[in-house]
Amino acid sequence: MSESLEFKASAPFTVGTELELQILNSRDFDLARDAADLIGLLDRTDHPGAVKPEITESMVELNTSVHLTYDALAAELKSLRDAVTQAAQRLNVRIAGGGSHAFHQWTDRRIYPTERFNRLLEVYGYLAKQFTIFGQHVHVGCPDGDAAVYLTHILARYVPHFIALSASSPFQQGEDTAFQSSRLNTVSAFPLSGTLPFVHSWGEFEQFFDGMRAYGIVESMKDFYWDIRPKPEYGTVETRVFDTPLTVERAALIACYVQALARHILVDRPLAPSREVYTLYNYNRFQACRYGLGGKLIDAYSRQTVSLARDLRDTLKVVAPHAAALGNGEALARLAAGVEAGHSDADWLRGAFRERESLNDVARVQSDLWMGMRHD
Amino acid sequence: MPDSSFLPHLPLPASPLALFGLLLIAGMAGGELVRRVLRAPRIVGYVLTGMLLGAGGLGLLDEKLLGETWIFVDIALGLILYELGLKLDFSWLKRDRWLLATGIAESALSFVFIYCALAYFGVGSLYAAVAAAIGVATSPAVVMLVAQELKAEGQVTERALNLTAINSVVAFVLVTMLLSWIHHEYRAGWGLAVLHPVYLFGGSLVLGYAAFMAALWLSQWLGKHAERQFVLVLAIIIAAIGLARMLQLSVLIALLAFGVFARNLDERHDLAAVDLSRVGQLFFVVLFVVTGARLQIYELLAGGALAAAYILSRFAGKSIAIMCFARFSGVRPGTAGLLCLALTPMSGMAMAMVHGTADLYPEFLARLSTIVLSAVIVLEIAGPIAVQFAFTRAGEGREP
Repeated sequence: MSESLEFKASAPFTVGTELELQILNSRDFDLARDAADLIGLLDRTDHPGAVKPEITESMVELNTSVHLTYDALAAELKSLRDAVTQAAQRLNVRIAGGGSHAFHQWTDRRIYPTERFNRLLEVYGYLAKQFTIFGQHVHVGCPDGDAAVYLTHILARYVPHFIALSASSPFQQGEDTAFQSSRLNTVSAFPLSGTLPFVHSWGEFEQFFDGMRAYGIVESMKDFYWDIRPKPEYGTVETRVFDTPLTVERAALIACYVQALARHILVDRPLAPSREVYTLYNYNRFQACRYGLGGKLIDAYSRQTVSLARDLRDTLKVVAPHAAALGNGEALARLAAGVEAGHSDADWLRGAFRERESLNDVARVQSDLWMGMRHD
Repeated sequence: MPDSSFLPHLPLPASPLALFGLLLIAGMAGGELVRRVLRAPRIVGYVLTGMLLGAGGLGLLDEKLLGETWIFVDIALGLILYELGLKLDFSWLKRDRWLLATGIAESALSFVFIYCALAYFGVGSLYAAVAAAIGVATSPAVVMLVAQELKAEGQVTERALNLTAINSVVAFVLVTMLLSWIHHEYRAGWGLAVLHPVYLFGGSLVLGYAAFMAALWLSQWLGKHAERQFVLVLAIIIAAIGLARMLQLSVLIALLAFGVFARNLDERHDLAAVDLSRVGQLFFVVLFVVTGARLQIYELLAGGALAAAYILSRFAGKSIAIMCFARFSGVRPGTAGLLCLALTPMSGMAMAMVHGTADLYPEFLARLSTIVLSAVIVLEIAGPIAVQFAFTRAGEGREP
């Protein structure tokens, strides 16, 4: 059966977000396998949004509903967090943010038993289990498909910002990776990862999609693991490069940045889509993953090499009026203050490691932080 | 000097080390056979090997040889009780009071049911009470080893381990309290009847606490590294076992207490998570072979209806309580039923409890053994299989 690719218009600049979270045991804080029990318990409790399984039994995904303001989004995320925390405590497991678990062994992971996930295991083998990494996806509402294609191309220029702001996966498999976000390296292993092809309209994109489907490469949009992809059934553009931040508050702030930036792009139309962005894409993306805010960025439009942090600060100033127009001026200012102060979740995690030199303790304080049992 | 003086003299002197190694090989082979042929847990193979080699089988392992193995058996039980203590999480019991309620209810009900069943069959009340107290405990060794073998993890596994820890604590308290009654029965003075249980329980707790404090101080000095703390924890466990023996305290209670303190009183998280399972494996194999060697089929025949009554009343007591309470814990439907199965095993620890407490009165021990051991024979074989079924059916363990 062929899926209709009709782009369902949605209210422009509304946002919703998905958070993939870690389920830890409360003994040594390694990943646990309680997703089914946790979801089952949450199904029987009253909470906003939705809670869903992810590819392995150590993960759970939270979805918010659609919002316009930071306050509403943050409020929903917090009450969702409280519900999940409460359920986790009854089951004696812990929940943590962060893009990777510091020391779990991917060979220990088990696939969440659904038809789709079992098929992914069959197709991708060990990659499916290594996909036990944790990201935030931000959806922004678009009026039509052409706007979605345009927005996707322009947002691609800002992908390093998104990576640096959310980077929280410095450790993998018990080692410091030297990366601020090591999670995206895992995504890159998938054959259908990458970026939207350089199409100019929704019609052109539909042609591309039909071709890929005719080859039998994909069945639906879900099969593309792109960094940014249009989501026609929601009428949104979905940005997927974020590591899950350590707190829901930060997740909401990051969503507001994407929202304000999208408003700037679609209202001001400041740039034209450029192939050069994609020529430089992997280099800029690597710089952000490896060095975070300390990385370099080559601007495809000015052809200048600038500091990523500087470019981000400049952009935050440009989009500030748009955030204000959406009622999120204060939230964006808070995010900007964090950038000024050089805040980074990855650095916070490394700091936690230096304190005790124990990755078990890193995972413990990481879950304390997400569950609201400590504040930083 | 004759030319052959360098040769060993016959009969060869017994060597506990050779015995340890040989029992390991035999048990390992038996476990592997059972795993491959019957797809049953290896423990069943260890026990069957023991039964084959023991007095009830080929008679290769007599009581004297078995006596030589006490040190390995003690280490095995110490390691298991310590690990069990680590699973008992007071903060979880505070957050999920229904789990605590389930634990207390299933302990209480299994005690009452076994007592009544034995009394109905005309067993004297003291024997019935001690046998019932022993039956309250699920075998931690079986539950933990099957969980390790299947790499099981999840709500059924974690809850089964916590309930096992709770019912073990209850069983120890009951057996120690009943010790007064045993002393009284044998016309010992009031001083002995009161002081012995107090010394046994209190002293073992103090020893467990001292072991915990030693572990805590030394781990603060070593730093939080699992590799460095591995030797530390193992050393303290072995020293605690030895001291418990020297002071005539309970190895089981002392090591369980050490584990419980380590889990619940280590507020700054100074103790690293140390994986003792590989080392433990060596001793566990020998523990189960030795347990098997002490079991004899004729005991089961002698026990007969009494064994059946014991097993059924115990299962009924545990199951009724679990089915009533577990559902309030918010677990998936079906979890309660699987927990009933997971709590059935009885094994080496039951025997150790019998021996560790009432050694002063051999005739009492002998009579009690005939009641308890016939049930152990059945549950030693059926228990591991039930636990394996529960964990795999819950989707928490790998298919064997």
